[in-house]
Amino acid sequence: MNDINIGRGKIKIGQNVIILFALAALVFVFFLLNPNFIDKYNLVSMAQSLAPYAVLGLGVTFVIATGGIDLSIGTVCIASAVIAGKMYTSGILGDNLWLTIPIMIAIGTLFGILNGFLVARLSMPAFIATLGTMMLSRGLSALIVSDPNIFFPNGTWFNRTFSNNNGVPTGLFWIAGFTLVCMYLMYKNKTGRYILSIGSNEEATRLSGINTARYKMTAYTLSGLGAGVAAIFWASAFPTVAAATGNGMELDAIAGVYIGGTSAAGGVASVSGSVIGAALLVVIRNGLNMILANFELNLNSTYVTYVLTGIIVVVAVLMDVIKTSKGKRVRVRKRK
Amino acid sequence: MAEVILKMTNIKKEFSGVKALKNACLELRGGEVHALMGENGAGKSTLIKVLCGIHRPDGGEIEYFGERVCFPDIASSQAAGISVIHQELNMMNHLTVAQNIYIGREPMSLGMIDDRRMTEDAARLFDKIGVKIDPSVVLGSLTVGKQQMVEIAKAISRECRLLILDEPTAALTQPEVEELFKIMNELRDKGIGMIYVSHRMDEINRISDRVTVMRDGEYVGTVDTDKTTKDEIVHMMVGRVIYGDKKEKSNVPDNAETVLEVKELCAGNSVKNVSFKLRRGEILGFAGLMGAGRTETARAIYGADVKESGEIYINGIRVDISSPEDAVNQGICYLSEDRKHYGLMLSKSVAENTVLASLGDFVNMGWIDDAEIERQAKEKNALLRTKTPSMEQKVKNLSGGNQQKVIVARWLIKNSDIFIFDEPTRGIDIGAKSEMYELMERLVSEGKSIIMISSELAEVLRLSDRVIVMCEGRITGELDISEASQEEIMKYATMRS
Repeated sequence: MNDINIGRGKIKIGQNVIILFALAALVFVFFLLNPNFIDKYNLVSMAQSLAPYAVLGLGVTFVIATGGIDLSIGTVCIASAVIAGKMYTSGILGDNLWLTIPIMIAIGTLFGILNGFLVARLSMPAFIATLGTMMLSRGLSALIVSDPNIFFPNGTWFNRTFSNNNGVPTGLFWIAGFTLVCMYLMYKNKTGRYILSIGSNEEATRLSGINTARYKMTAYTLSGLGAGVAAIFWASAFPTVAAATGNGMELDAIAGVYIGGTSAAGGVASVSGSVIGAALLVVIRNGLNMILANFELNLNSTYVTYVLTGIIVVVAVLMDVIKTSKGKRVRVRKRK
Repeated sequence: MAEVILKMTNIKKEFSGVKALKNACLELRGGEVHALMGENGAGKSTLIKVLCGIHRPDGGEIEYFGERVCFPDIASSQAAGISVIHQELNMMNHLTVAQNIYIGREPMSLGMIDDRRMTEDAARLFDKIGVKIDPSVVLGSLTVGKQQMVEIAKAISRECRLLILDEPTAALTQPEVEELFKIMNELRDKGIGMIYVSHRMDEINRISDRVTVMRDGEYVGTVDTDKTTKDEIVHMMVGRVIYGDKKEKSNVPDNAETVLEVKELCAGNSVKNVSFKLRRGEILGFAGLMGAGRTETARAIYGADVKESGEIYINGIRVDISSPEDAVNQGICYLSEDRKHYGLMLSKSVAENTVLASLGDFVNMGWIDDAEIERQAKEKNALLRTKTPSMEQKVKNLSGGNQQKVIVARWLIKNSDIFIFDEPTRGIDIGAKSEMYELMERLVSEGKSIIMISSELAEVLRLSDRVIVMCEGRITGELDISEASQEEIMKYATMRS
């Protein structure tokens, strides 16, 4: 993949190496502070919670690569899970648990298409359009499903296939597969190249005769699809889905994408970085949780996690900004 | 003779290895209009930016009113009485004229902005310099010429001892130019030193006292305007012949078929009932002043902007072009004057930029063939003699001329038939300019057809087989090259309805 995004290749490897190194260092520190951190059960548990975030990150990477943003992925993910789960528990689907899978995918994709329509066809600012669908999806799912919690079955083929099969974190295999598919789409397929072109210079791309609206539409649809697929992994890992939640999930996923090296300004994307970024956040959350409990510190690990994540995001984006502004200073002789 | 107020000696400035200024010098006296001349890329703007604190010089000395200075930013050069009128106006269109003039130092009363006093102050200011503009109207409603006057008023509303005018007349009509010169003469009488950047020789002769010429970032010489000739200045500027002579007669055979016909095209306020034909192998020059609607016409044909009405025929067949995608599919391509915004992905490689329009042709069984992309990009760029260390080089590191070639290569790969060049040599250095001319001539000799929008009359006369002149969105004249001249074109370019 490194030889593809010509010119950016080296930087991308660099960023991946930095995050992988940070990831390894964190694991090591957590291990020193609490050896149970690398206990098999803990590792599997982390892998289980990684899966939905990684899928969300993979999907939204396409939107961020265009220079846009999708704030709706978290609530759309939960909405997909809740609506499909309600259909199953209420018996509409009969015994066919598998039917929840296409339903979750369809709901996510539909919201993606809606976002794409608002942003690409109606030229709405992505932030506002997806803020709207974020609220819409959350409210809508709560209206459709009045139960505060939806219970997916536990210990079935569903959980074994997508989350944990007797200690084998099956979700990871799916993530690996999705990552390869997304790398193909982003780097080796016209769609991704045009998405990156739009992120680099949308107007120049349009004036080169490319239907930029169509490719932006595709990016948002992929992001929605990611949210639908993430719902599968969420429901299989955490079968009790609290309806009307999902706020905040998108922020974790998007933070992972930025940490992974995808430029917030668009045009540069690291698909593998998005997964590694998500992993970094999961490790921080889990690790802090364990060591704070271990030392009986009177600190809420959730909040400490936020503080640390916030610092990492700022540093990661700062690196991107420095890189970009360096580029800007390389000025070709100004006209006249 | 008045005192010397500014002396810049041996100024050096380098941008990442590119020497923009080598040994630039400039001397200005109080009450003098000093013309600064040079081809595009000669370093005039960079010199001015060094003076007013936008760029730090890498070497050299600036002496201002006898003191050695180096302004760290614009605010401090402004505080020292240096004002710049840029070619592109830097004002807020939705604010009133008075608000624009006093922005950042609004008169206050009771903690609120005193708009009435501001308007009165502005009116007094206009009276002083003899300009008739209502300070309470919204700036955007004025013509470009009037906006220019507002900018000058703004400059002299502060204590101004040195005024820099960077191509102020580019967008002005003749009466507006007269008005500008009247104001400049008044400022001269007040002892204000002015640096005047312009390409228009006749204006230089009329308004300036001395001329300093720069070439390739270097000082060439300073002469008294009344002791020199146009030819001497041109010789100093160019150092060699670049334009060549005017084309004598059209190279297009009489029986050449029409490849593009535009009928009654209307788009917005800037394109009104435009009709013309382009023939195979022809370079059709589009001349006119800034804001004449040439770029807008091109963009409307290309589908980049919405057309209100009008028909387009390609090879005699009516086509519907509602997006650049449609236009490209019809074999049309458009090369914008503003390459950075409308042409290039600056942080992407030469290869990626070259294949932007034709990526689909490099897909093999769903996979992009990067080796083939590299090969084709190399081949086309070699053909155009694009100077780049490799195909992986980011285009932002190329010079203007080479960036332009990358875009031409893009359309060669796409095998476009009709090329619309919008100011093809803007921001390109002299050597690359003549290469660009050769390139356009080669394109038409291979049966392509070119629409060339250019504000440089010498360029229009050198290349065109036929010249269309626009003014205020209309075509006001159409000249065969054999009957075209600078005077004739200017006559039509200022033919207002």
